[in-house]
Amino acid sequence: MTFRKILTQHIAEDDCHTLSFYQRNGGYSQAQKSLKEDQPDDLIELVKAANLRGRGGAGFPTGVKWSFVPKSSDKPKYLVVNADESEPGTFKDRVIMEKNPHLLLEGILICCKAVNIQTAYIYIRGEFVFATQRLQQAIDEAYEAGILGNDCLGSGLSIDVTVHRGAGAYICGEETGMLTSLEGDRGQPKLKPPFPAIEGVFGCPTVVNNVETLANLPYILEIGAEAYCAIGPEKSPGPKLFCVSGHVENPGTFELPMGIPLRKLIDEHAGGVWKGRKLKAVIPGGSSAHVLTADECDVAMDIESLTAAGTMLGSAGIIVMDDSTCMVDALVNLMRFYHHESCGQCTPCREGTGWLEKIVHRIAHGDGRMEDLDLVLDVCDRMVGKTICALADAAAFPAQSFVTKFQDDFVAAIQNGGSPAWKKRHPSAVGGTASHG
Amino acid sequence: MAENQTNDGTVAMTSWQLNGQEVENPTGMTIMEAAKEHGIEIPCFCYHPGLSIAGNCRICMVESNRSRKPVISCSEKIADGLEIETESELAVSSRNSVMEFQLINHPLDCPVCDKAGECTLQDHSYEHGPDRSRFVEDKNIRHTKELGPNISIWGNRCIVCTRCIRFCDEISGTSELCIVERGDRSVVDVFPEIPIDNQLAGNTVDICPVGALISHDFKYEARVWNMDRKDSVCGGCSRGCNVEVETLDGFVKRLMPRENLEVNDWWMCDEGRYGWRHLYADDRLSQATRDGTALADDSATAALEQLLSESGPVAFLIDPFLTCEEMHLVQGLAASRPGSSVGGWLPEDGIAANFPSGFKISAAKYPNRAGAEHIFGDQVFGNDATELQKALVSSDFNTVVAFCGGHLSSGPGESWAKALSSTPTSIIFSVKSGPWLEGASLVLPATAPIEKDGTWINEDGRLQRTRSCWNPGTEPFSVELVRLQTLQNALGIRGRSLSAAGIFRELAANNDSFAGHNHSDLGSPGLLLSERPAGIAMDGGSE
Ligand SMILES: Cc1cc2nc3c(=O)[nH]c(=O)nc-3n(C[C@H](O)[C@H](O)[C@H](O)COP(=O)(O)O)c2cc1C
Ligand code: SF4
Ligand code: SF4
Ligand code: SF4
Ligand code: FES
Repeated sequence: MTFRKILTQHIAEDDCHTLSFYQRNGGYSQAQKSLKEDQPDDLIELVKAANLRGRGGAGFPTGVKWSFVPKSSDKPKYLVVNADESEPGTFKDRVIMEKNPHLLLEGILICCKAVNIQTAYIYIRGEFVFATQRLQQAIDEAYEAGILGNDCLGSGLSIDVTVHRGAGAYICGEETGMLTSLEGDRGQPKLKPPFPAIEGVFGCPTVVNNVETLANLPYILEIGAEAYCAIGPEKSPGPKLFCVSGHVENPGTFELPMGIPLRKLIDEHAGGVWKGRKLKAVIPGGSSAHVLTADECDVAMDIESLTAAGTMLGSAGIIVMDDSTCMVDALVNLMRFYHHESCGQCTPCREGTGWLEKIVHRIAHGDGRMEDLDLVLDVCDRMVGKTICALADAAAFPAQSFVTKFQDDFVAAIQNGGSPAWKKRHPSAVGGTASHG
Repeated sequence: MAENQTNDGTVAMTSWQLNGQEVENPTGMTIMEAAKEHGIEIPCFCYHPGLSIAGNCRICMVESNRSRKPVISCSEKIADGLEIETESELAVSSRNSVMEFQLINHPLDCPVCDKAGECTLQDHSYEHGPDRSRFVEDKNIRHTKELGPNISIWGNRCIVCTRCIRFCDEISGTSELCIVERGDRSVVDVFPEIPIDNQLAGNTVDICPVGALISHDFKYEARVWNMDRKDSVCGGCSRGCNVEVETLDGFVKRLMPRENLEVNDWWMCDEGRYGWRHLYADDRLSQATRDGTALADDSATAALEQLLSESGPVAFLIDPFLTCEEMHLVQGLAASRPGSSVGGWLPEDGIAANFPSGFKISAAKYPNRAGAEHIFGDQVFGNDATELQKALVSSDFNTVVAFCGGHLSSGPGESWAKALSSTPTSIIFSVKSGPWLEGASLVLPATAPIEKDGTWINEDGRLQRTRSCWNPGTEPFSVELVRLQTLQNALGIRGRSLSAAGIFRELAANNDSFAGHNHSDLGSPGLLLSERPAGIAMDGGSE
């Protein structure tokens, strides 16, 4: 079976984001039918059978997540769509929201039907001004056309969708951080349990799903679970958006079947490593994933294969680094990000992210000590698995894998008085003068 | 209500394993609470029994058979079959990791930190921390600033446990505090233009596990290990919050709330907390005088004897600051002077306050109205002060003994002053000096509430033991308890002086309301007057 693009099929067309375009191409027909005819439980079973896995980063089975929401509850239930897209290297939800917003809305309707939800929020990162406008236009059109609001698509169901802009914080992409922010508080994750499905936004049962996850729903309804499972590996199937950035000739977002070989993605779709240089490293799933060396890049881009390779599919943000890259400088950049974005409530993350940045920064700037390499790894060990949310792990993973897999770069920076770029800017600096400790 | 209550009213139990031992605890307990019942104290910073669980400090991590990662014992509940290790390699290394992280940016300025000696970070560091630092980077700097009239933040010391913030959200309900910035720049602050200035604000300093929140009142006043401590009760209102009075070289330095879940939980109000300043106020009365002439302490007692032995019927004017023991002595004196009577005034009602947490401040700004009513009858306090004054002026009492004890009250007021001065012999025990003392025959300095030793009955009818902040024998002047007994001895109505506990025993033997109670059984939560201590016969000497 040849692969058909589902999420981005029409994005080259001028008016692809409009309701009329979407409907001309069969849009809303799945929701229309489903809202009227389907039983919620059947929908949940269908999504389970399709093995739809969350596209936000954790890859949790979507149907299973929905089934955790209590069937009978005297509280309202909510859907909160995670459109925070802040994982470095990730720009896929943005494409859907800017170019195909009605697909997301149709997915929202199907999810609301399956879980008996009447209110959905789309939590979108503040920097996405254009995407917010596009989304809002689409929502307005949908209300106008009777697709949202009372009696959606003539089904008798009432479903409201509201766009909520964040202020631009990575931690507001973590689901409970997002919910806290949506509630109007300082965005910081909550202790789990209780999980959002039981006690989420405003203390009510809440489904949290990523934009791309929901955008897959109409297609699953269209072709059925069996056909969907046939796209890519059975355990994590489906069309998938891969964001390729970094040292490639043709960076961008590519819709391909799950399980596409990483090398094929880079070489054929992204035009290969730029300037004829050689591949040095690839971060395969957003900056929080363990980095792969060039030798490790013969791997399929799906959840299971990447987990087996000791890394993760994550948000499918693929950052390609050529052989001119100094891994020390690259890591400084990443550590600065996590240090800046840690919400600061858990001790290991609050202190660990700052400490890591300071050490790596010191190495890059010529004050490194050989014992710093072990220290970085030990600090990482002391962070992983010891915090409220996974940001601490997300900061530690790149630090661990950069230092172990590209040890030579770090040793060179320590011995030569800093990273090559630092040396170039500070030619007279004398390295190895660290007199600490 | 409780999640461990079964249908037949018994408590459901959960069996679990703690460090390899099979143990049982009531269902619903957290690992931390349950372990404590078995003598295992798991360290904590952010956990506080009076606040919601934040789970942010992570020091309480332990190893669980149910989780790959260590779990936090302040939030994780016990469950059948759960196996917890508090001393395994994972548990110990997790704890040590948190300690190392807590310390890397900490200034370690213990030598000048007011919290030193009672600092959780010091304590845990001693037990679980590394003995040297691997941190060679520059430490972060965070702000030091006033957050309100009584409190400042020393941001470098803040461990971001959010106890103070949760206190303002959950206990005082005022929400002035917040964390600003993120990551290792996080620090406690107030919102612009809105200082922390609520009636319970001082508690945030107590519960700050480190020296980040500093009370202006106590800053650089004492090293905590040098202070003496007395378990006392605040006399600021009829709530009767349990407090610890801390003194250094005979000077009060600080009041801290003492846990009493029946009365004040872990808290107290700022008015009570800072009220001790009145002890050293300029208008504090410290000199006995006879007709305006200064008297030495012994001669003052002698003068008191002389005036009373010569008196006819005496009007005793009591106030609700006296302890039950003092009142019992007054009652004995009144009974020995035929025709005497006992009455009193109440300071005007203040403002009550109820907080979301259930903490209360009483409108009755004195500690022992209920005690007086049990000893002298319901009618002892007229609610109309001028009525009482008229009665006094028109009666043929030629002697009045008045107690003017409220260190917070402004004194008995002008009409009282007139009434007192129009009585031929007026003897006034007073905490403060003021116009009401003019023309008095004998003026005696009196003790303020925290200087008293005895019992009070709070607005719920709870009998509570309060201890004087002074060490026995170091009082700056004779307390009423001593003075009144010396007087009784001299007048021949008592054979020897007793301690407060001894006087109470007399009271309990003679007054049905107190029957069965004694000081030693009061314990720290006190007892409702209606609930006698176990094992005491109900007829406990009612005759
Ligand atoms: C630090 C952190 C940042 C995250 N950021 C995002 C994000 O920007 N967008 C997103 O969809 N999920 C993000 N996640 C994952 C969410 O917590 C959550 O798993 C996801 O939104 C669930 O949706 P899904 O099941 O459809 O994938 C983040 C997780 C962590 C720990
Ligand atoms: S792990 Fe980091 S970002 Fe997550 S809650 Fe803890 S401090 Fe905040
Ligand atoms: S807060 Fe504790 S550890 Fe820090 S300086 Fe004060 S006493 Fe020392
Ligand atoms: S000021 Fe004290 S109580 Fe408040 S967060 Fe900081 S350490 Fe905790
Ligand atoms: S005491 Fe458990 S996390 Fe702080």
